[in-house]
Amino acid sequence: MSPRRILAILLKDLRDAGRDGRIIVLLVLPIALAVFYNATIDDGGTLPSVDVAIVEPASGGVAAQLRRAAGKSVKLSLRRSTDAAGARRLVAHGDAELAVIVAADATGGGPAEAQVFVSTDASPTAQSVVALVPDALTRATGREPPARTRVVAVAPTDQSPADVLGPRLLSVLMMIVLLAAFVAMMVVPIQTAEELETGTFGALRLAATGPEILAAKALAGFLYAAAGIAVTIVLTGLDIADPLLFFGAAIALVVSLVGFGLLLGLLVPNANAINTFGGVLLLPVIAVAGSVFFVDSGVIVTICDVLPFSQAARLLGNGLSAQDPFDTGLTAWAVISAWAIAGYVILARIATRREL
Amino acid sequence: MLRDGASQGTNPADWAYLGGDDVPRTAPHSRAEHGRSAQSPAIEVIDLAKHYGDVRALDGVSMQVAPGETFGLLGHNGAGKSTMIRILTGRAKATAGRACVLGHDVPRELAAVRGQINLVGETPNLYQRATARENLELFCSLYGLPKTRAAEALEQVRLSSVAGRKVKTFSTGMTQRLLLARALLNDPRVLFLDEPTRGLDPRSARDLHDIVRRLAERGSTIFLTTHDMHEAEELCDRVAFLADGRVVALDTPRALKLSLDHAPPEVDVVLDDRSELRLATGEPGDAARLQELIGNGRARSLHTREPTLADVFIALAGRSLGDDDSSEQAS
Repeated sequence: MSPRRILAILLKDLRDAGRDGRIIVLLVLPIALAVFYNATIDDGGTLPSVDVAIVEPASGGVAAQLRRAAGKSVKLSLRRSTDAAGARRLVAHGDAELAVIVAADATGGGPAEAQVFVSTDASPTAQSVVALVPDALTRATGREPPARTRVVAVAPTDQSPADVLGPRLLSVLMMIVLLAAFVAMMVVPIQTAEELETGTFGALRLAATGPEILAAKALAGFLYAAAGIAVTIVLTGLDIADPLLFFGAAIALVVSLVGFGLLLGLLVPNANAINTFGGVLLLPVIAVAGSVFFVDSGVIVTICDVLPFSQAARLLGNGLSAQDPFDTGLTAWAVISAWAIAGYVILARIATRREL
Repeated sequence: MLRDGASQGTNPADWAYLGGDDVPRTAPHSRAEHGRSAQSPAIEVIDLAKHYGDVRALDGVSMQVAPGETFGLLGHNGAGKSTMIRILTGRAKATAGRACVLGHDVPRELAAVRGQINLVGETPNLYQRATARENLELFCSLYGLPKTRAAEALEQVRLSSVAGRKVKTFSTGMTQRLLLARALLNDPRVLFLDEPTRGLDPRSARDLHDIVRRLAERGSTIFLTTHDMHEAEELCDRVAFLADGRVVALDTPRALKLSLDHAPPEVDVVLDDRSELRLATGEPGDAARLQELIGNGRARSLHTREPTLADVFIALAGRSLGDDDSSEQAS
């Protein structure tokens, strides 16, 4: 495998995608829908909100832990401040109801300490947030603070994962799944099928190996998905509770599906047919994946348990929400990995038989 | 039988230039690479077979093409011509037999061959949304050549003025020239041309023939498939007839035509009153009449009717080149 040749084909694919109206629509549509849903659905309107200023070292995690502890009982608007004086001014001016200043040596020895500025006219909600600070500090530093208050966020048992996430986050999340599916199962196969259809695949084969060409197309798919998800997150201002889990799940989903996308492109070398019928076939699958947020028993759950879309949707949901609405364990990763391995093994066999 | 100049290809120095008069040839191949193939045929196939299920696209073909030779593979549609090229360029695996290009077994040593061969296929397999320059620059990157080589190749086929135009706006002739430019990028020592003039108007076909002749003069080995007999006669040192996956004849075009030339030739005569008649020189009466028409000045033009390659093919394969073969779809 030659990285130079893979890069050359990858750059060609990226440039060609920008000139192909079908691919532009497939990439832009989910993002536009995510932005639309994000802007029009307000699932935090009924929650009490508190503006909090926070000062902590760059590596600190108190802000994230505070948000996790608050859960869905209060909408926290966190604003970082550079120093204690600045944070105090924010409280004094009414720009924040309270400020949390984490000691610079909080990561050193001894008990973790934090100073909290609370406005004299702070709401009861703001006072309740103050009570969450010791626990957030403990979790962020890994050591007990002087105050031993411990708060455990417990999601109500009568709430479905959809309730936990709320309609806005759920819509945006499903658009991210849709984007990954569009990229893997339509954009990648369309580009592959068009190469076969027009004979350019054969031309490339004179200068590059089949695996190099397919690797370049897979990489292009990864880049489309990464760029699309990044743009969606930026445009929607998505607040991700566990970025590692969220992005890991997104990557796993795209990687597992791209193998099947390449396979589809090889088996159906008709780009327009994939463009016409791909979405029609894909949307029911996405709908089943989305049902994991609403249905908790029956055949649908069994189907969801074996589909990479739905397992990835569960992992993405856990990454997005601090309450972990799903109990996935390693099963979700195992299912996605199994699909990925199956996809690439079948791809390799078909590609060899087809003498690409 | 080879043309006098055909042996040039065995001398590495002859590979120094390929393109137009002022276009220096890049040198992607080392002399060490030449060493192995200089003593070998440019192309050698031994008992080559390719089966698609029950269909035998190639059925035990053996032949050699010398370095610097322009070789034509002729046959009806579906005779196995394109299959042969697919195997020789590493895009299909033979069911049986052996295929060697420049002394390397294909596809086992394809990596060693890939940079030294190129192909103009029968389909216009270019990126239609990209410009001519972008199409060639992609392949410059794939071959590890500087992008200036793309401009040189465009110059060779006289497409420099439209380098920035998208390929989808090109005529058939321009597209074919661009395909040829792409095939010239890596200065191939063996160039495969699969029906290169299909669909071209006579002028575009003539232009393409001129370019192919220049390549041959500079020592490239050219492997051409066609069912255009005139094209084969005009360009090829030797031709092979492929029918039903087998080689039914292989020789120079002239030798093949002479092989069928048993009967005395016929002569088409145009008279001074513009009437035409055909006379068989083997018939005593016709021979005397011909002499008389020439003697009294009534014959305005005479055309001898000699066997064509198409006649030879029909005699050997039992059908014309325009007939399709049922195996075409499979191949």
